[in-house]
Amino acid sequence: MQRATAPYILILPSFVLAAAIILWPLKEIVSLSLHDVNRFGMLRDFIGLEHFRVLFADPDFIAATWRTLVWTAAVVLGTLIVSVPIALILNEDFYGRGIARILIMLPWAISLTMTAIVWRWALNGESGMLNSALRGLGLINTNIQWLAEASTAFPMQILIGILVSVPFTVTIFLGGLSSVPDDLYEAAATEGAGSWDQFRLITLPLLRPFINIAFVLNTIYVFNSFPIIWATTQGGPANSTDILVTYLYKVGFRIGRLGEAAAVSLIMFAILLVFTIIYVRLAMREAKA
Amino acid sequence: MTIKQKLCLLAGASLIAFTTSAFADSTVRVTIAEYSKGTGPYFEEAAKAFETANPDTKIQIEVVPWDNLQQKLTTDISAGANADLSIIGTRWLLDYVKEGIVAPLDEHITPDFRARFIDTFLSPSVMNGKVYGLPIAASARAMYYNKDIFAKAGIDTPPATWTDLKTAAEKIKALGGETYGFGLQGKEIETDVYFYYGMWSNGGEIVKDGKSGLDSQAAIDTAKLYKSFIDEGLTQPGVTSYAREDVQNLFKQGKVATVITAPFLSNQIKAEAPDLKYGVAPIPAGPTGDKGTYGVTDSIVLFENSKNKEAAWKFLDFLFTTEQRTKFDKVEGFLPVNAEESKDPFFADNADLKVFTSLLPNARFAPVIPGWEDIAQTTSNAIQKIYLGEGEPEATLKEAAAKINETLK
Repeated sequence: MQRATAPYILILPSFVLAAAIILWPLKEIVSLSLHDVNRFGMLRDFIGLEHFRVLFADPDFIAATWRTLVWTAAVVLGTLIVSVPIALILNEDFYGRGIARILIMLPWAISLTMTAIVWRWALNGESGMLNSALRGLGLINTNIQWLAEASTAFPMQILIGILVSVPFTVTIFLGGLSSVPDDLYEAAATEGAGSWDQFRLITLPLLRPFINIAFVLNTIYVFNSFPIIWATTQGGPANSTDILVTYLYKVGFRIGRLGEAAAVSLIMFAILLVFTIIYVRLAMREAKA
Repeated sequence: MTIKQKLCLLAGASLIAFTTSAFADSTVRVTIAEYSKGTGPYFEEAAKAFETANPDTKIQIEVVPWDNLQQKLTTDISAGANADLSIIGTRWLLDYVKEGIVAPLDEHITPDFRARFIDTFLSPSVMNGKVYGLPIAASARAMYYNKDIFAKAGIDTPPATWTDLKTAAEKIKALGGETYGFGLQGKEIETDVYFYYGMWSNGGEIVKDGKSGLDSQAAIDTAKLYKSFIDEGLTQPGVTSYAREDVQNLFKQGKVATVITAPFLSNQIKAEAPDLKYGVAPIPAGPTGDKGTYGVTDSIVLFENSKNKEAAWKFLDFLFTTEQRTKFDKVEGFLPVNAEESKDPFFADNADLKVFTSLLPNARFAPVIPGWEDIAQTTSNAIQKIYLGEGEPEATLKEAAAKINETLK
């Protein structure tokens, strides 16, 4: 008897802690989303799924949802595509590699909000650095108003997103690459494999678990990332660059509809949960195969 | 004593220590919105002066960036952890009053105290006949114009009407180069307000008889007017990427000849572009001579759940003495809210401020209606669509007005 209960007693404290940290806020948010709530978070009547109904009838919400998916996919895939070659280069033994590695990592130490604000200046239509540079190179004659409309602002925001995600991702990949034993390449070279084949048949498969980690973590970070969009356009003009998390902030704190805001965060939670489960299952099946 | 007992004792002792240190003397917590770098130091100094005169009261100042104020208050209030006093935008006040979050101040206000204020600025915080807040910051809007650019274009006087402004902007455009006649704001806070200047001049109202005025002829005419400024290249390009600060910066750099904004731009120009020759003029009038400036006050309120209302009131009383008000308004470049203060030569002899004060009889404040922020957001979105050419003025405004009418119900 004692043997059977002991493990449960031992994990009880951490379970209680986890529940307090994870489950209690979740319960609060669920209850907010199902009640009429005033702007100071005081619950009024129970109204069921009314907040969700209002949200799904709001074209801005639907647009923000689609944009969030585009944003996440573009930033995450872009980051992976850029990071693999950078990690491969930094893994080579060359003069000044230490400095190059530091340079790549350095932006990681700067707050995301600060980076975003610097970009806001750089993208300024009149005095921005980017316009001056493009003019200097003779590529444009008139200034581009980067942040004036979504068609130019959103791609720039995605670029900034990729840029700030690269350091973290490269770090993960470098860790992965350093665990690949050199004799594998030597053996492959003796067998006559070229560098492309070596990459395709050795590096990539061995890097796979690290790519998986980077993929899942980046997806969660980017999906929930607020500072870049907020600092550059605040989701504007006319909500045309909103992603779910900036939409959530506006609904919750600007307009003061906390019930709807709670509903948005539950929907975001659900999307991420579904995504993570699917991905983890796929990755596990692959690992077994 | 076992270890357990010792721990309990220690916990108890620290709890007592904590409660006594926090509540022994009366501590008044004050949430302050940061208007400029001078805000925090000013309030710290005022708190110290007050503590010297009232040794049994401690004042604890919390400075919050203006952008985060609403968020902090919402979180604090919902957790019951709010301060005793806080600055809030007067336009939010109705929501606070409706939910019973702020306390009326009438029992404290003596006729003498009330007489300190210029009534225009106190009245927005009066609801249902009760005073719920005191105007801690007040400003209005006027048009700044660049005298050098005007001279170059051969214009002697600041434009009195929107038609004049357009003619002036055309002349400035004809000079060539990258100087624009009219600095138009189209992003972030007050995008809607920038539109109201024109709308008021045309005789429009934000809300009339409980309905949105955004579908009125005045609003439609204004939208067409502003759009014509944009389309004819009389404003800076890409107006939807320019927030208030950005347009003000363009003015400081001499890239736009006019901008409509608050008195604090004068302070900034003195500090950052002292060579700029500028004048301040009323906001242009419409065809029938209508004109309106936007009056804004922020209020300092006393929370209903404050345990130290007496001490908090005493501090309020102190903050609204002529001496303290004069210091604060000089630091921030706001308009005097205290009648005595406005006689101070700093304000009375200041040519820029005189223009602002002369506009006050025409000042309009954000209407006192629930869901104001919601309405402002809907309006901004509609206007941005028009500026970007993504919607016809009339149809877009009518759609927005319908949405606002839903909110107003």
